[in-house]
Amino acid sequence: MSVEAPAATGNMGEPHPRFDARLKVTGGARYASDMPVDNPAYAYLVTSAIARGRIVSINLGEAQNVPGVLHIMTHENTSKDVKDSKLFSDGGFSGTSIIPLQSDKVWHDGQIVAVVVAETYEAAREAGYRVKIEYEAEQPSATFESNGVQVQAAADVKKTHEDPKVGDFDGAFASAEVKVDATYFTPTQHHNPIELFTTTCAWAGDKLTVYEPSQTMYGMKNGIASQLGIEPEQVRVVSNFVGGAFGSKGSLTPRTALTAIAARRVGRPVKLVATRQQGFTIATYRAETKQRVRLGASRDGKLTALSHEGWEVTSRPDNYMVAGTDATTRMYDVANVQSKVSIVHADRNTPGFMRSPPELPYMFGLESAIDELAYALDIDPIELRRKNDTMKEPIKGLPYTSRSVMQCFDEGAKSFGWSKREPKPGSMRDGDWLVGLGCAMSCYPTQMAPSSARVRLSQNGELRVETASHEIGNGAYTVIGQIAAERLGVPYEKVSVVLGDSDYPAAPVSGGSITTASVCNCVAEACDAIRAELGINDPKGDVLAALKSRGRGAIERYAEWTPKGVPDGALAKLYSGQAMPTGGTKDKERIMFAFGAEFIEVRVHQRTREIRVPRIVGAFAAGRIVNPRTARSQLMGGLIWGVSSALHEATEIDKRAARYVNKDLAEYLVPVNADIDQLEVFMIPEEDHEVNPLGIKGIGELGNVGTNAAVANAVYHATGKRIRDLPIRLETLLA
Amino acid sequence: MTFRNALTLNINGSEHEVFIEPHWTLLDVLRREIGLTGTKENCIEAECGVCTVLLDGKAVCSCILLAMQAAGRSITTIEGLGTPDALDPLQVAFLKHGAVQCGYCIPGMILTAKSFLAEHPGTPTRHEIREAISGTLCRCTGYQKIIDAIADAGAEGAQAAS
Ligand code: FES
Ligand code: FES
Repeated sequence: MSVEAPAATGNMGEPHPRFDARLKVTGGARYASDMPVDNPAYAYLVTSAIARGRIVSINLGEAQNVPGVLHIMTHENTSKDVKDSKLFSDGGFSGTSIIPLQSDKVWHDGQIVAVVVAETYEAAREAGYRVKIEYEAEQPSATFESNGVQVQAAADVKKTHEDPKVGDFDGAFASAEVKVDATYFTPTQHHNPIELFTTTCAWAGDKLTVYEPSQTMYGMKNGIASQLGIEPEQVRVVSNFVGGAFGSKGSLTPRTALTAIAARRVGRPVKLVATRQQGFTIATYRAETKQRVRLGASRDGKLTALSHEGWEVTSRPDNYMVAGTDATTRMYDVANVQSKVSIVHADRNTPGFMRSPPELPYMFGLESAIDELAYALDIDPIELRRKNDTMKEPIKGLPYTSRSVMQCFDEGAKSFGWSKREPKPGSMRDGDWLVGLGCAMSCYPTQMAPSSARVRLSQNGELRVETASHEIGNGAYTVIGQIAAERLGVPYEKVSVVLGDSDYPAAPVSGGSITTASVCNCVAEACDAIRAELGINDPKGDVLAALKSRGRGAIERYAEWTPKGVPDGALAKLYSGQAMPTGGTKDKERIMFAFGAEFIEVRVHQRTREIRVPRIVGAFAAGRIVNPRTARSQLMGGLIWGVSSALHEATEIDKRAARYVNKDLAEYLVPVNADIDQLEVFMIPEEDHEVNPLGIKGIGELGNVGTNAAVANAVYHATGKRIRDLPIRLETLLA
Repeated sequence: MTFRNALTLNINGSEHEVFIEPHWTLLDVLRREIGLTGTKENCIEAECGVCTVLLDGKAVCSCILLAMQAAGRSITTIEGLGTPDALDPLQVAFLKHGAVQCGYCIPGMILTAKSFLAEHPGTPTRHEIREAISGTLCRCTGYQKIIDAIADAGAEGAQAAS
């Protein structure tokens, strides 16, 4: 029901309204494709009609005759223009090593094979349809079980990959009194931010300005420079507002370099707005996974053995993986653990990071299996989790800096009314509806990366913060401004924050929920330096009065913040656009996670098997909450994403052609307003100053982890049917 | 050779003369020719609602409406709602309830709600609001707060009318 912004309690900050909200409700917020450029030409992408093979010939005759066409790029005239394409996950910038127009090879369906540039968008699009391409097609491999896929162990292809392991799993599992052995599947999903993938490139002499919605200003600046073979100083990237990203705008896609080349060739700015359909194949996505989970326990519910094996689809050339076992092997107290991740190469575009990349699929496996074990043991699923709760991760025995997961379960259970649940499946009903109550644990690693920022306090009381971080809906403008205001004792209304421009001090990629912790700690350091310079060390002391009494107009400080435990050279890498985060499971002495507990009520109609979700409750503990209002939005959005991953979202693949078939928002289902009813979020106060000086844990990806399992567990409770293959749809329940 | 026609559009209370090709959509003309970029673009096939504008007060998807069809009618975009000193009650309610995340869907969401509240004076139920705005997608899924905001603005409108 309707709840006002939560009041600040414990170590929470004020629920200030969003800094940028007014611009967003008046149409004044300018996103990349809204930026005006002088006399632009328009680009349209032509994409491949086959998933594997080569281009035999391209006939441009008809296309070139469309009035207004200025230039058409194909591999025949562009093959040497893009230099570098090292993968983001290997320390490069690109989300794929497949750079189109470099040869006649087709790696996946929907690969860019030509770019038409014309006076108008309409002319470019029409000419695009008239580009005639002849292919020599080969039979593609689409996904798991397709002929021709190639399976590799993650440890064999990536030196840094570790499959967590401890004790003797085989022995412990063999002798376990109670066992679960189940295989789970999660589908392909696409981010589908509502803002499309757009790029506008404008050259002035040898200087390039790129307007593109991006989660990584410095990554784009450096990445595009290396792809074009120019110096990073020649590139400026601007992206003041991003219309949703969810991971899709965190690494470079090939369209940027192609648009920049097009603009250079036609001698004027070029604007590209890729279509919704093209977005499915010109960027990344969440790859489908298959997981086998085995659990062994004693009769009284103590876990003795855990094995988690995962298989993930990737493209033919790239070794992309998410490897969620890094987290799932560390959630419970269990002495004997093994895990293994394998990647499966198919003729697909390269997958990439999508909101909680590893945890969302892998926690579905683990938290479903825990629920199955609870039923096998006839123990309440919350009690089973309590029995195996731990303040030390089992693999290396490292302590959690904080872990308030059972507090989350207890608070959530109380508000949800868990005690009224009849444990037997199918035992709760309301008229024609079968009622099911389910729960699951959520977790997300707390990570941070080096960051820089500039803060200026002026005599008129204004405080300005500059950093090249990103507003992707996360509330970055707001929380950054809030920390600066608090730290210097200046009213929030007097603060201005500027973000999203590579001319500002470097900030890391807004991925892995690192932004608030990384940037806010840095801004706090700059503020402290201003205090120190003014000699006002008492946090209540009046810095503005001190500034005036010294007769100064303004004081400005540039800070570089480096979290403890980052790899050598991490600060330098910040400026070259590569984030090297620490925290999570990367620290050598401790382990850092935020946790949550999620509760779902489902109703399944007894005849039609229609599934509704009338109630969602989430309780989360994530250290200091800078702004409970924006935090609540993030967590609510996350929970809905989680429900969506359980019931709605899946990109369907035509296995014969290795082609996505539901490439639009009419057929790629996402929850609409009518799908979501009551939604409650609790934030459990938690203090943790070991993670970073301000005690902040990231929350952008916490809300949607585990929710899919909670839904599946609730569906089992309602119907007695255990669904291990997402999404759960009424046809699955009718079968 | 492409042919362009002169067309006068009434947008947010002022007349704009544009030269357009007959197949251009209202969305393209607003964004590209007039520079009113508060109206957003996405699916361009009437699936998402981000391009919503008001045509004679009723919500329409500007991505599937030819600009020519809007001649002689009054067009309201997000930029024309409220004034800097006095925002529209819906804008105020969206601010108050923090119903904004990335913001990309918000212009369409507010204008859809505007048209709905105008057609349903009184105090619509949460269920009615939810159904009414389900054609406008928000991927940040701030649904709860968006409904809070619209319900609030609706209640205020009803009060003002009584
Ligand atoms: S852009 Fe018009 S409905 Fe999606
Ligand atoms: S606020 Fe981001 S799409 Fe609605």
